[in-house]
Formats: sequence, C-alpha cells, structure tokens
Amino acid sequence: MQKYAVFTGSCQSLTAIQYLHQSGQLACVVLVDAQPTPDLMQLQHWLQQSGIKTLAYNLSDDKDLLSQLDSLAVNRGLIYLFRHKVRPALIQYFSGHLVNIHPSPLPDYRGPFPLYWQLRNGEDKTKLTLHQVTELLDCGDIATDLEIEIHPFDTISCVQYKVAQALPELVAKYCQLDEKQGITWHKQGETSDKTAPQVAQQQLIVNWHKQTSKQVVNMARAGNADAGCALFQFRQEMFQLLQASVVESPLIGVQAGTVIEVDRHTGLVIKTINGALRLDVIGTQQGIFDGYRFAVLFGLEAGFTLMPENN
Amino acid sequence: MEKPKVENRSVLDFADPHVDELLKHSIRTQLESLLKAKLTTAQRQQLLQKSFVDAMALVLSDSKVEHKTLVKAFSAMYDNAVQSMALAQLSEKLLTKQYVSASGLIMSPYHCKHTIKDIYRIQGYARGVDKAIQSKLSHTDSITILYPACGPFAPLLLPLLSYYKDSQKYTKEQLQVILVDVHPGAVLALKQLVKDLQLDEFILRIEEADATTYVPEQSIDLLVLEAMQHGFTKEGQLSIAKHLVQFLTIEGLIIPQNVSVRGMMVIGENEFNQQWKEVEYSHSLNMDASAQQDRVELGEILSINKSTLLNMQTLELQEGIKVIPANQITLPAGIEDMDKRILAIYAQIDTFAEEGVGQYDSGITHPRPDMSFYIDTKPRDVEHSHFVANSGDSVQFYYQLSGLPGFVPVKV
Repeated sequence: MQKYAVFTGSCQSLTAIQYLHQSGQLACVVLVDAQPTPDLMQLQHWLQQSGIKTLAYNLSDDKDLLSQLDSLAVNRGLIYLFRHKVRPALIQYFSGHLVNIHPSPLPDYRGPFPLYWQLRNGEDKTKLTLHQVTELLDCGDIATDLEIEIHPFDTISCVQYKVAQALPELVAKYCQLDEKQGITWHKQGETSDKTAPQVAQQQLIVNWHKQTSKQVVNMARAGNADAGCALFQFRQEMFQLLQASVVESPLIGVQAGTVIEVDRHTGLVIKTINGALRLDVIGTQQGIFDGYRFAVLFGLEAGFTLMPENN
Repeated sequence: MEKPKVENRSVLDFADPHVDELLKHSIRTQLESLLKAKLTTAQRQQLLQKSFVDAMALVLSDSKVEHKTLVKAFSAMYDNAVQSMALAQLSEKLLTKQYVSASGLIMSPYHCKHTIKDIYRIQGYARGVDKAIQSKLSHTDSITILYPACGPFAPLLLPLLSYYKDSQKYTKEQLQVILVDVHPGAVLALKQLVKDLQLDEFILRIEEADATTYVPEQSIDLLVLEAMQHGFTKEGQLSIAKHLVQFLTIEGLIIPQNVSVRGMMVIGENEFNQQWKEVEYSHSLNMDASAQQDRVELGEILSINKSTLLNMQTLELQEGIKVIPANQITLPAGIEDMDKRILAIYAQIDTFAEEGVGQYDSGITHPRPDMSFYIDTKPRDVEHSHFVANSGDSVQFYYQLSGLPGFVPVKV
C-alpha cells in the first residue's frame, strides 16, 4: 500500500493533496519551515479543517521528521512548491520514491521561477514534469509529465491555476504506474539554455531601449499580479505594469519609451524599438488604472518619455 | 385644446452647458462664474468679445503696460474663451486626445487651452501680424491669411480680428482668414469661439486638416504659424512651414519672418535657477547680465525664413528618417569649465518689423537644456543617444523631421 507524505508550502498544491486524501493514499503533509504567509496560513487552516495530519519540516535536522514519517508508515514522498532543498537523509529514506513536480518541460527552466520565465519568454505551452528527487535540484529522472497549453492572455496566476487543476491527473497517472510497477524512468537532457533563476529587481524594470513590444507584454503578464510585477519609471516614481498589448505604429525616428498617444479609446500608447505598446493596466499607490486614466491623472502627455534621464 | 408651451427665451437663454467632467473639473472657476451670473448668450458673447478686444488694445499699445495689467487682461480672455469651449460640448475623447503624428506632436484641446494666456507670445505675434497686415494692405485691397495648426482658440489671430472688428480698423472685404487644425476637438471649439466672437465674416473657412499636407484653394498672402516648443522641438513648425511656403504669393509673408535657433553652453544652475530668483516673472527684459556673460554662445544652428524654407534640402536616412542639414559649429576651445556646462538650444523669434518673442518671453523661446550633449566629459553609462565631443571639435547639426522633431548633432 502506498502511503504519501506531501511536502509543500502553498495552497496551490491542494488539488494534489485532495486527490491523495480522497484515494486513501495520503498519510500526512509536511509543511515548510517559514514565516507564515497568507497562503501558508490558509493551507494550514484547510488541512486542519480536513483532519489531515501535518508535520513540520525542520531546517536544521531530519531525525524527528524521519521518525514521524516512519511511524506513519510513509513510503512515498511528493514535493510541490516546497521552498527547501531536501537533505540526503530524507532522499535515502524514500529509496527512490521521493518525487518532485516541476512546472516546466525539464531540462528547460530549471530553477525557482519556472512559470514566470516561461511566460516572460512567451512560451505557448508548458509541462508538469514529475521527476525523481536527487541532490541536484530539478535534475532527477522523469517518470511522467503532462502538457498544459498557455493562452496568449494568461497571466502567472492563470497558469498557476491551470497547473493546480492538472496536478491530480498527473499524480493519478504516477500512482497508477507505481501501483502496477510500470514506471519507466527517463534521463533528462544535461543542460538547457532556458533557465528559471531568481528575478533580480533590475530585471523587473522595462528597458525601452532593448525590449520589443512583445517582450514587454510577456513581462507584464508574467508578473501579474505577483511579486515579480513589471515596473516602469516616470519622473522619479515606479509604477506596476500589469497588462500591455502590442499595437502597430508607423512612426519612425521617435525614441523608444516615448508616449505617442493618449486617447480615451486607444489608451496610452508608448513607442517601442519595433512598434508600439498600449499600457492597458497600471498599478500605482493610489490604485489601479487603465492607461488613459493613468496618463490624465499623473500628467503623462504625448511626447513625454519614460526614459529616466529625460524626465 | 391645450395651449402649446412657449419657452420664454429671454429667461432661459443663459448658458448652462453640458460640460464633460474633465473640462468641468479643469475650468470649474470659470463655469461657476458663468452659471452664477446667469448671463444671456448675448451678454456672455459681449463679455467674451470685450475681453479679447481689451487684451489686444493693451498689447498693440505703444505705451508701456504693466505686467500685472496684462496678466489680468489675458486671464479674462482665457476665462471667457474656456467658457466658450465648454459650450462646444466636446466629448471626453475629443477633449483629451493627444498624439505624436508623423510630423510632430498634436496636443489635446484640454492642454492647448492655456496658450491663450501666454502673454508675450501673443503680444509678439499680434504686433507683428498687425504690422504685416498693415504693410500688405498698403499695396493691395484684400489679403488672405492662413493660420495652420491654430488650436482651439487660434490665439494669434482671433483676438486681433476681434480688435479689428471692434475698432473697425479693417473690414471683412480686406481680410479673409483660413483656420486649419488637424484635431477634430480643436475645430469644434474653434467654430464655437468664432461664433461667439461673431467673427464669421472674417473667416473664409475652418478646415480640419493636417497642415503638413493641406492644400489651400487660393494663394496665401500671410502665413501665420506657431507650432513649436522650446528649443524648436516636438511640434511640426518646420514641416508645416516647408510645405505651405509654396502656396504663398510672390510677395507673401510668413509670420514669424525669421526664427533663429541658437545654441549655447551654460552652467545650468546659473542659467535656469539663480538668474530668476529675484525677479517677478521670466522675460527677456528680466534676464540677469552676469548670467548672460557666463554663457558660451555657439552661434546659430538653424535659420527658418521664407528664403531658407524655399531652399531647404531634405536628406533621407536609413529607415526613412528625414533630416535637414543645419549649420556646422566649432566648439570653442579654452573654456576651463566646459565639462560642467550643458547645451541649451533656444529660438529667437522675429515675427515682423522689429516685433518678436525673445528668450524667456514665452515657453516656446525658453532655452531647452539638452542633457545628452557632453563636451570634455563622458556620461557614466554611454547610451546611443548621448553625444560626446571635445572642445575644438566641429559639430554638424541636423534637424530631424520625425514625429518629435529636434536637433541631432554629429561630430565632423
């Protein structure tokens, strides 16, 4: 009988937990050792309400955890959105049955922000990849995967939701293969040019000199609405760019980053290196506005530039 | 049979306009006074006309008029003009639409409305236009005046026409005016203002058209043009003038008769801050002598007049960008603090016969600092938009005729 411990720190893993719980395969949930966030607190609350046993991960030592897992007869481990790198002792405990779900077609987008970078790079599909946990992050052999379409309008929250909805199917597929002892582990490719590192603050600021319209559009939706929100500068202030759309512009000789139109219907349009961009939704400390209202309220006029040195 | 209701027009005919919320917010003081006064249309028009006539009487006067007197007169003109704009019932879309066209910036009527308060710009133009009309009419019975890119108030002509009508200086047989603007909101406001000023007799037509391609039906005797921002940038003055000069009669005049665009290297703090600390308002008469002495003049970069326009050559660069070669200058050597100076470009506008708009008289003649121009120093991070040169180098300026026109320096 398979008895699972799910290692997580986010409500986004609830669908997988629910599946294992309802199919009688869930022994416990191991929660991250971190400051409580609303997401983590909500998860804890739900687990408590559902009567699911929770264990705490200890950042310094695995002994207690291993003992508790043993007492619960846990023989399978599933990691999803768990912020810690697990130690060798825990990997050994599961004897090859500790798996991680990584939302990218591995080996592409290894790292902590796979969905962000896939959206930012304009990928039109992704994969939920279930792979063995090894000491090298996101590098273990793959048991199974599931393809997910990315709509051109999807934001990071949309894709996170799609991934959450697809989790039970992937977990069920894996459990069934495991039960029938039908898992075939596939090696990953060694390297990929596409990675998913932490996002530095500077990478969140729109670079009008270098980024194309499409790149800014993707950057905005990759960060909407999340900690990795795209930013642009006007005067000395930073504003969040939550949504933008590519528009055509025949204008030549106008510097990228220049406001080329403010109109109630066509909105706030900015010149880019390969055309133009409409800033659809902008987050400010005073609220969220469409581009037109933002321009009127904040005094952004045609001919102004969003390049810092000229404002 | 029920007696039909007859509106008592003399009671109800006061201005209670349905005004767009943005405009209402922006001109609430003027609207409040309009509504409070409960003026009839005729009374409101009378006040409007009077404010235009009074302002022109002051600027055309040869005696010295106090700045505060002018401010008061121009504020009255502005207040009455925006009341007229409110009655044009522009939609929010028409009121606020602004964009960069292929040849320059097109401002919204919402933002343009303040130009009628620019005292010394209007003074310089009105006095010049007045003298030019006088000069033309001394040789001929009637003239046609074209005022392209005139905006919602056509501030360089409508006040003057109001004055002529009031003083009966010129008649409709002598002056016929064509007003052109590409912005449909400006055209709507303009039609309302012309109606309120009762100047229809002087107006040959009001056209909604792009001035850089507009073809007038008749030859033009006087072209009145002001479509520029400080440093001769952003708006399409040159493109418009270059296109329309061909429709001038052989004796035809352009107002301004000459625009001399010049460059100077200045210590920003002295030029733009210190010299204005003690004065009431910025104006060429209030410029500080020591700040002027501190300038390092580079000379004229471009001169725009009828002759230069007729002879202007356009070069087409890669990607279709059009430029006009301007002057070449040599950066003076031996200036110790050159690395601390910034380039400032300014326009000296000679409208006609000694009349003009001097430095700092108006926003359009305010010297424009160019922070991308480095002499004897380098920016921390060199971007492609930066220009870096040394004292003694020769610099060729080009004027780029793009959506946001402006000067591009190239090291020779």
